[in-house]
Amino acid sequence: MDQSKEQIGSASESPSLKSKPMNMAATIAICSTGWLVPGLAHVLIGRWIRGLIFAACVLVMFSLGIAMHGELYDSSFDQLLDFFGFIANLGAGLAYWAAAGSGIGVGTMTWPSYDYGTKFLVVAGLLNYLIILDAFDIAQGRKP
Amino acid sequence: MILSHFTALLIFALIVSTVFGLITKNEPREQFRYGVFVFLSFLAAAFVVGWLMYPLPL
Repeated sequence: MDQSKEQIGSASESPSLKSKPMNMAATIAICSTGWLVPGLAHVLIGRWIRGLIFAACVLVMFSLGIAMHGELYDSSFDQLLDFFGFIANLGAGLAYWAAAGSGIGVGTMTWPSYDYGTKFLVVAGLLNYLIILDAFDIAQGRKP
Repeated sequence: MILSHFTALLIFALIVSTVFGLITKNEPREQFRYGVFVFLSFLAAAFVVGWLMYPLPL
């Protein structure tokens, strides 16, 4: 019993949510906040430890990508693969808009870690999509 | 910031394995074990693929 209380993001943080799934509108609203701010969806449904870990993971990876002079894809793409990169980058939510709007994330192609940084930025967004799906399942009562 | 390939790999594997462990499993012990498994799998795959590419004339 003690072990179940120690679960990271377990139902013990919000016991009422496990038995009563949220309605779809609330679930979508919460997942939208989770897209804009990574980890916020889990915090809103009571899994705040898990949410904070997720937020740290995504934001650290995104920040490292920026620090490594990675490139953010934008909507003006020439190749189809750039479109997928744009969709992946969008997963970071507000962090993407903030970085793109402030002029960082342009990328320095001659920088040694440019390619690593670009991949970090892409994967940060993709991880947040997975995190949103996890929040969706929890809100719908499909996961404990 | 300039990271070596291996350092970037370590950080990447650590973050991704943390998220995968938390998402995939529910019990803390299972989450930790699966996270470690994914992390070590990333490292093992990197070493194996690295050595496989070693003789290639690139």
